[in-house]
Amino acid sequence: MQKVYSWACQIGNLGLWIIWLLIHFAVDLWYFALHIACAIESYLISSGILKRYKALDIDKLRYLAIVIESEEAYHIPAVIQLLQWLVDIGVKHVCLYDAEGILKKSKESILGKLNNATLFEEAGESNLLLDHKHITLEFASFPDGKEAVAKAANLLFMKYVKLGGSGKIQEEKIFTEAHMSEALRAVGCKGPEPDLLFVYGPVRCHLGFPAWRIRYTEIV
Amino acid sequence: MISSLSPQPLIKPNTGTTLSPIPHVQNQRFKLASHVCPSELLSIRKRPGSACAATTQHRRYLLFPAEEEEEEREVKFTSDAPALAEELQRESMPRHVAVIMDGNRRWAHLRGLPVGSGYEAGVKSLKTLVELCCKWGIRVLTVFAFSSDNWFRPEVEVEFLMSLLESGVKEEKESFIRERIRISVIGDTSKLPKRLEELVINVVETTKNNTRFQLIVAVSYSGQYDLVQACQRIAMKVKDGLIEPNDVSESLIEQELETNCTEFPYPDLLIRTSGELRISNFMLWQLAYTELFFSQSLWPDFGEAEFLEALKSFQQRRRHYGK
Repeated sequence: MQKVYSWACQIGNLGLWIIWLLIHFAVDLWYFALHIACAIESYLISSGILKRYKALDIDKLRYLAIVIESEEAYHIPAVIQLLQWLVDIGVKHVCLYDAEGILKKSKESILGKLNNATLFEEAGESNLLLDHKHITLEFASFPDGKEAVAKAANLLFMKYVKLGGSGKIQEEKIFTEAHMSEALRAVGCKGPEPDLLFVYGPVRCHLGFPAWRIRYTEIV
Repeated sequence: MISSLSPQPLIKPNTGTTLSPIPHVQNQRFKLASHVCPSELLSIRKRPGSACAATTQHRRYLLFPAEEEEEEREVKFTSDAPALAEELQRESMPRHVAVIMDGNRRWAHLRGLPVGSGYEAGVKSLKTLVELCCKWGIRVLTVFAFSSDNWFRPEVEVEFLMSLLESGVKEEKESFIRERIRISVIGDTSKLPKRLEELVINVVETTKNNTRFQLIVAVSYSGQYDLVQACQRIAMKVKDGLIEPNDVSESLIEQELETNCTEFPYPDLLIRTSGELRISNFMLWQLAYTELFFSQSLWPDFGEAEFLEALKSFQQRRRHYGK
């Protein structure tokens, strides 16, 4: 009797295990099919056959930042192609960041390969409104982050010393968030806060992108 | 197609709730057996594997807090060596985890509960997380309890949060001392109610020599404020002749940040709940190389399973620190 019971249990367990495997297989198959469908859709969009991006409402995206890991930043043709896609979608202002400044060093070549691209620092209001396919590019690297904040702080310290600062109130009047933002612009970090930040690379961090500017930036 | 330039999604799949209608229940003061909403037509069912710190069948939520009815869950700690979950590798555990505890109000709204219930459920999640961190050998946990932007919320809500903070600190003070947990508070505490400010100073002072685990609570904090106050402190040192204005460097600024109250000031992992993809002005300077994990769970639903998922994701990533 016990043998029968044990035998029945084993068959039951085996049956449950098979059902579990089948469910697992079905789920895997579903996600695999989804992945294939996404890959096909991406290919069709990239090749211009499927123009899904025409329906995108880009107006909310005033400023896009892209963080690229330094190893990936050497692939300049890939970066140029990404920027061309962004121009097609209608993105107007992009900040390209990599920690080591590889993209900064290649900025002439990137600007040369893109039509209607100008540096953010050189672009004026009138230029931005005229051409639908125009894009401004800002190039940033690690020194534009923490080092820039230190430089901006130094600017404020010099002002503080000149005023002969004394007392806590003086420090609080000179060192405010607004003054820091102003000082950052004075040392050359003029870019606005991005609405959206894309991170490309194996890591999931912003790799030292100027932190002062990403308070409320969506990070993907 | 540039496959190498495809952004990897930072959002984890939804491990949250499914909703289905239930018969109407009259709205009155009573204990809830589970997630049954008394006045709305929703019940909340969790997907298997999505543990919720505050949603076991034995937990109860009140429409209006009542001390005699509210189940108090004491923080339990083990004084044995850290017992790590099987899926985790001890050698690659983060030393410092930071959390943006988002989603309390949405959690309450989904259940038709007052906002206060969401925050109270959030406190329970925090207790669970502290226990898990102690258990798994994480040395520092920083939680974003109240942002400097939160002062603009309705006055009633702000007052409730301040009283919740005060009662939470009072209730757990003995536990922190007993379990050798150090409490640090960062942020502009001068804006807190006087009583709370004094309590905070007292708890920070009382626990300052504890070394087992450090809980840093960010209250009335913003990343930009942290940088600005660091500059103010440096300015005072410049005024006192301790340093020259030209000597101010990044490392000097780092030393004056409020997060310098810990041995590990830079978080290895930042978790933000509720599916939002922002850091919301939290520890801006310190997060340069912090791995970001955005969880879809609302904060009161963030329990052991969700934390495990975040840690597993962290351990699978290759951290280069920009090199």
